Amino acid sequence: MPATREQIELLQGTLDMLILKTLLFGPAHGHGIAKHIQQTTREVLVVEHGSLYPALHRLERNGWIASRWQTAPGRTRELKFYRLTAAGRRQLRTQESRWEALVRAIGRVMQPAPET
Amino acid sequence: MRWPFRTPATPGDDDIRREIADHLELEAEDVARSSAGLSGEAAATARRRFGNATLVAEEVRAVWRPTWLEQLAQDLRHGIRSLRHSPAYALTATITLALGIGASTAVFSFGDHVLGRPFPQLPENHLVWVVQRSPRECPTCDNASPAALAALSERATTLSAVGAAQLWRAALNGHADAPSDLVIGYRVTPNLFALVAAPFALGGGFARDAGTPGRDGVTILSYDYWRDRFHGSRGVLDTTVMLDGVPRRVVGVLAKGIAFPEGVDFYTPLVMTAAIANDHASRYLDLFGRLATGASVADAQREAARISMQMASESPKSDAGWVLVPRPITAFHNDDTVTLVRIFAVAVALVLVAACVSAANLSLARTSARRREMALRAALGGRRGRLARHLLTEALLVSLAGSALGVWFAAWGIRAASGIMPPSMARYAPGLAFVRVDGRALVFTLALCITVTLLFALLPALRATRTPLSAVLAGGGRGSAGDAHGTRLRAALVVVEVSVAIIVLSAAALLTRSARNMVNGDPGIRLDHVLTMQLSLPRGTSDSSARDFVSRLDARLRNVPGVRAAGVTSTTPLSNNWWGTIFSVPGRPPQPNGSPLTANDQRITADYFRAMGIRILSGRSIDARDRADTGAQRVAVINHYMASHLWPNADPSGQTITIDSVPWTIVGVAADVHHGGLDESLRNEIYRAAAQAPSTAMDLEVWTAGDPGAMRVPIRLAVASVDPRAAVGTVLTMREMDARHISPFWLIADVVNTFAIIVVLIAVVGLYGVVAYGVSQRRRELAVRMALGASRRDIVSYVAGGAVRLTTIGVVIGVGGAVAFARLLAAVLYGVPAGDPATLVMVAALLITASIAAALIPCWRAARVHPAHSLSE
Repeated sequence: MPATREQIELLQGTLDMLILKTLLFGPAHGHGIAKHIQQTTREVLVVEHGSLYPALHRLERNGWIASRWQTAPGRTRELKFYRLTAAGRRQLRTQESRWEALVRAIGRVMQPAPET
Repeated sequence: MRWPFRTPATPGDDDIRREIADHLELEAEDVARSSAGLSGEAAATARRRFGNATLVAEEVRAVWRPTWLEQLAQDLRHGIRSLRHSPAYALTATITLALGIGASTAVFSFGDHVLGRPFPQLPENHLVWVVQRSPRECPTCDNASPAALAALSERATTLSAVGAAQLWRAALNGHADAPSDLVIGYRVTPNLFALVAAPFALGGGFARDAGTPGRDGVTILSYDYWRDRFHGSRGVLDTTVMLDGVPRRVVGVLAKGIAFPEGVDFYTPLVMTAAIANDHASRYLDLFGRLATGASVADAQREAARISMQMASESPKSDAGWVLVPRPITAFHNDDTVTLVRIFAVAVALVLVAACVSAANLSLARTSARRREMALRAALGGRRGRLARHLLTEALLVSLAGSALGVWFAAWGIRAASGIMPPSMARYAPGLAFVRVDGRALVFTLALCITVTLLFALLPALRATRTPLSAVLAGGGRGSAGDAHGTRLRAALVVVEVSVAIIVLSAAALLTRSARNMVNGDPGIRLDHVLTMQLSLPRGTSDSSARDFVSRLDARLRNVPGVRAAGVTSTTPLSNNWWGTIFSVPGRPPQPNGSPLTANDQRITADYFRAMGIRILSGRSIDARDRADTGAQRVAVINHYMASHLWPNADPSGQTITIDSVPWTIVGVAADVHHGGLDESLRNEIYRAAAQAPSTAMDLEVWTAGDPGAMRVPIRLAVASVDPRAAVGTVLTMREMDARHISPFWLIADVVNTFAIIVVLIAVVGLYGVVAYGVSQRRRELAVRMALGASRRDIVSYVAGGAVRLTTIGVVIGVGGAVAFARLLAAVLYGVPAGDPATLVMVAALLITASIAAALIPCWRAARVHPAHSLSE
């Protein structure tokens, strides 16, 4: 999917945060996660689907998410579902607060508050 | 839905492929649903959106690839498992390496402390010792003139500070009535303690102006003397002690263990006036300097040479030809210590080589036995590097265990060695008291451990991983022919072990024989039933008072029960002290090289020779006739060595020698005494009557009827009754004195003997291993031989012959090394030639016997094999 003007490349490292955030609402398989990110950002954020998988496996290896093959509702085959672990929840909180700090900092640079 | 906690398992390739395929399928369904396009097109879109699926799969796999740390952990687990399966190998190799590494660590700690950091307790170690010598006049002189001290202090930029010290003996009184101690101290420039940054237990160093006359009435005590004499009382500070009758205020006590430049009892300021500082001709100071930041010893040497040239041109009469040479501070300590460390280092390097070779041998045997496993694993796709890494990790485990055990051995060995360390050695090498396995030693051990691993494991690892499967399988698992190369290699390693054993064993034998020679040897004096006591009269005692003291002491001791004979002399033989004097023979030129004749100056009373059991070979002894007051002839007795050198074909009696332009007539010749011990060569000795050449310092020798040790108190009392101001220094029996002199030689012998036992054990075990392995490999061959009519004797001699052949090759190589090592030992050997053939033959015979013994067990087993049994296997 070629990047159009309205679409923004993902910042380094934010994909992990988005995955963790997505899984906060419940277990999901890879395709579901990709679709959720795309839909909630109204297709602004481009996630090349392939890049999702190394990230998922990295998170799993770190113990932040866990995986299991299970039958999805309305399907006959088993799909690989991921879910957030307790460590993943903590990791998400850390990343969120770091993200907010970053956004605030950048915001102050881009739109300085009028001097009082 | 429960998700039990678990460590994530690495997904298989199928898992990854399936996950990606699922994604593509789901996406294609979505695309198809939303755009209602053709299903073929939908799949293509899904693939496009996904990106390169093969690449993604590879990336996912990369996520799960183990890191090097995990691989190491895996290797370690594997190594421990495989070592657990062969505990005999693990144990033998570990102990062998522990012996080698332990011995090395101990010797490293010893050398590091004694030579590397001679003053570990001093914060400042960038010190140099500056000697002043003249290549022509005095090439081995050490002491420098006050003018040299002044010149270096003012001009040298490579030395940030220069100080000096001068040893002296004095009598110290706590208060007027207490018996005096004869103590040893240093006169030092007031800056010396700051120069070496010496810490103090109490008080501090000397004031800057303590070296000016009138301000010098102060003293600093050493920690040990303060503890022994003043019971470690803090009240000693600012009290006054009498040193040689001069009151001095105690301004400080050095911190524990501070001994600079050597262990002494006290320090006083070195008085320096303009006149003294301008003295170019007398050289009596030990000069010390601190290197300026960034300056090296070589820099200081270049600058000192330049300053020496300036001094020579300024005062050519006294300084021409004399050079100041800064040397590393370690040079100040006995060269003997350097020799000692060097001998230990060579011996321990050999022990380490033997240990490595032996471990390599064990490892080779083990990998030979595992060739099938290795070849199979290689054939099943195990990469060579990975297999080699397995073996190396296994080896690393063994040497780590060996190092840990070795460090324990080393700590234990150092404790044992310091138990037998003579106190006289600690005095000359202050670092000795601090020898322990410390962080630096551990770093050394770790480096050694890695080196050792590479040394002993690389060869077997390379060999094992190179073996083709066919060679192993064709050999029916017995490796009879395929492993010929391995057997040859192991035989070569055993040869190395044997030759190392020969070298260390012969060194140990030489050192032991030498030490025994020193114990059994005759130094020329009576050792039993003699008590020796250092005495000193107060400074300023006149010649006549000293003469009077000696004659009254002589008379008093004659009446002490249990005394057979008592006499005084200047310095006791074997005490490591001597008084040099320059003399000349009228009408004779000095020595060919222009240097003056020197002799040990002994000022004795009539009974000295009798008390010490020294025979008069010709002429007469010193006796009561030889007095100063009646204008009697001044007489001297000389030793046989001096007589035979100066008057080789004549009786020296009646000849004259001149000392300080006074003529002395020789009246007799005394038997030779090894004054400096049997290990030192004889030198000229002149015995004069103490009455005619009085002195305030002397050694008293008492020949006792019974145990000399029991006479300490009666004799001290007798001395005090003659003059309570006479200070008593060291009191020892001659046996104790002799033991003190010899103990360093025993120490060397004991240490090298321990090393020798280790290497011989290693060699014998190695030989046993090779022979036993050889027998097990050749069971069929031996069986065939027996079936064809070979007797048991034939088999035994066939197998043992191989062992003897290996040992003989090792012996031949080892003898060469032994002769080379012996050359280094020559400095500490007495009464044994360095390349002593008898010792070498004995050692070789011992090792060959031991190797035959080691070979006999497998031989006997080989001979018992029933041919039918072996062949049917």
